[in-house]
Amino acid sequence: MSYGRFLLKRGFQGILVVWGVVSIVFMLRFITPGSPVDAVAPLDASAELRQRIAEELGLNQPLYVQYLDYLWALLHGDMGYSYISGIEASQMVFTKLPATVELAVASSLVAITLSIPLGVISATRRHQPADYAATTFSLVGISTPNFWLGIMLVLLLSVEFGLFPTSGRAYGFIEAFRILAAQGVSPGLDALWQWLRHIFLPAVTLGTYFTALITRLTRSGMLEELGQSYVQATRAKGLPESLIRYKHALRNTLIPVITVLGLQLGTLIGGAVITEAVFSWPGLGTTLINAINVRDWPILQATLVVIGCGFVLVNLVVDAVYAYLDPQVVAE
Amino acid sequence: MADEILKVRNLTTRFFTEEGQVNAVEGVDFDVRDGEVFGIVGESGSGKSVTALSLIDLVETPGRITEGEVWYRDAELADEHRDSHPEAVDGDYVDVRQLPETTRRWLRGPAFATIFQDPMSSLNPTIPVGEQIAEAVEVQRRARANPRRTRSRTQGYGLGRLLIDSVIPSRNYVSDESHERAVELLDRVGIPDPEQRAEEYPHEFSGGMLQRAMVAQALAGEPDVLIADEPTTALDVTIQAQILNLLTELQEEEDMSVVLITHNLGVIARMCQRVGVMYAGEVVERGSLEDVFENPVHPYTEGLLGSIPDLEDPAPRLSPIEGNVPSLLDSEMGEKCYFADRCPKAMESCLHRIDERDAPSTLDGVDHKVRCVLADREYDESEALDGATAPEVTDD
Repeated sequence: MSYGRFLLKRGFQGILVVWGVVSIVFMLRFITPGSPVDAVAPLDASAELRQRIAEELGLNQPLYVQYLDYLWALLHGDMGYSYISGIEASQMVFTKLPATVELAVASSLVAITLSIPLGVISATRRHQPADYAATTFSLVGISTPNFWLGIMLVLLLSVEFGLFPTSGRAYGFIEAFRILAAQGVSPGLDALWQWLRHIFLPAVTLGTYFTALITRLTRSGMLEELGQSYVQATRAKGLPESLIRYKHALRNTLIPVITVLGLQLGTLIGGAVITEAVFSWPGLGTTLINAINVRDWPILQATLVVIGCGFVLVNLVVDAVYAYLDPQVVAE
Repeated sequence: MADEILKVRNLTTRFFTEEGQVNAVEGVDFDVRDGEVFGIVGESGSGKSVTALSLIDLVETPGRITEGEVWYRDAELADEHRDSHPEAVDGDYVDVRQLPETTRRWLRGPAFATIFQDPMSSLNPTIPVGEQIAEAVEVQRRARANPRRTRSRTQGYGLGRLLIDSVIPSRNYVSDESHERAVELLDRVGIPDPEQRAEEYPHEFSGGMLQRAMVAQALAGEPDVLIADEPTTALDVTIQAQILNLLTELQEEEDMSVVLITHNLGVIARMCQRVGVMYAGEVVERGSLEDVFENPVHPYTEGLLGSIPDLEDPAPRLSPIEGNVPSLLDSEMGEKCYFADRCPKAMESCLHRIDERDAPSTLDGVDHKVRCVLADREYDESEALDGATAPEVTDD
């Protein structure tokens, strides 16, 4: 099987998964108690009014008609309107999406740039002080709850030292670049600086667990690879140690690491609900919680569908990278 | 008489495990001459492979070479180190063990190349076979390009390089010339369609083809000594013969010396000019193939030879050597000859270990050494150790 066909196959599987997600999200409304009418209608609404609302929302149609209507609308990018505010659901979700993606990517970058070198150092200096420091850090990092770490960072760095803002998001990343293009260098750089200051603490909070996890994975994977007989054979042919470590052992270690990275990134897109709450970060996580609280079904559904698609997309990318790194995957 | 390319003296390798000290290789002496195939034969666990790894200094923790010298003949290298490391130089020979770490690593490839038992696990599964061979070529190419060859032989390779290599495959560590040379080498070892096969991954190769590729990789550094550690054990019988033929052919054409490690006496008889028999970490008998195979002195060698079937004169029963290889744990090894417990000719004089002794040799200038009291005397039944089984004389 060629690389292209492999990707095509995975892409097709991804579409099937998205369809499944959409269907389940649709069904969710019917297996949870309470009708959407309750959310929309005033408390003292008459039976007649309730009936009219139900008709308006299409709730009097048979289930399969509602389902097909939903799919058809979704294909055209129409996810309905918020029951509460009347804002278009797709618009609402897509304005929140950049904040979440920024946070997910930023925390992953923090994690990747820290964890992989840490893991390599830890594995190649096994049972030396650097290794003990790295393993201790990863143990602490894995066992520290996000919300606590977030609050502590805010208390220490924001409140005590005033280094970072306590919460919120001043500019979006793209927005900051627009300012750079439109208003010149000085306000542009200032906007970027503000963006960085605001995202720093949430990214570190979210990235710490992630860093710790990948450090451990890299360390153990690297140790396993370095124990393989091909490493000894590679030494026997006279390659320098740095080449053996990085080109051979680390490359093979990264194969499982990338899988975990992808899965984690997927969950981050699902919204780091708690971290977003601690830092009042206006992302999908906050939107999701709000929608659940007020039974705003269109928003809830739109959020879930976008999260599901994001998850599938990230995994598709992971598969592509995975197959690139490990040719045996394509062969199977 | 041919000169020695390699003189191994008192090579001792121990493993420091939690159960105690394991004496895997115990005071091993042997020579390898120019253009010969020297065989090392022994049972599993007799220390053959550790000896091979000790030669190229690749014993991994908890193992360590604790003693011994590995004298390798390289006049140029000897001159280079005569002043800086006088103790490591003797005439044209250098003691590899006393050279600095970087120099030792430099010798892997152009001095010693190694073929391992299982070709499948000896190659990186995620890198094309051709590229892996080309790496070995590239290392030598860079070493030649850098005249201060005992220093760092290549530029460093780090995370940044890995990132660049992964994103831009054309900017690889391996140069085009090295890649072409790798294709030539694949062709040389009889792999059909080498250009295409060079791009394939190890899992796309058969076992025999992969071992050929390993041989090609070993040839990349144009080595003086090729160490083949059970090169055919993991292969089908028909493929074994092909690989052995290939080795013989290359050894003659490239004028290499080969250290062939195997448990297979048939392979030894077919390939080697001289042979060493290992038992419990020691070389118990060594000499020319004729001396060791036709006139063995050590009862262990006799036993080994007695345990192979003879096609021309099929005996009704094969005679195995009773018992098992002893524990190599230092605490359990004791003072007596390691083979005494299994030896049909054990005598009271076997209660103390002895050094190598000369045994009768049929060839001039070829030593026949044995680590056994029987080198000097005949077996005397009156001195037999308790529990030792007297030899059964079966002449049928």
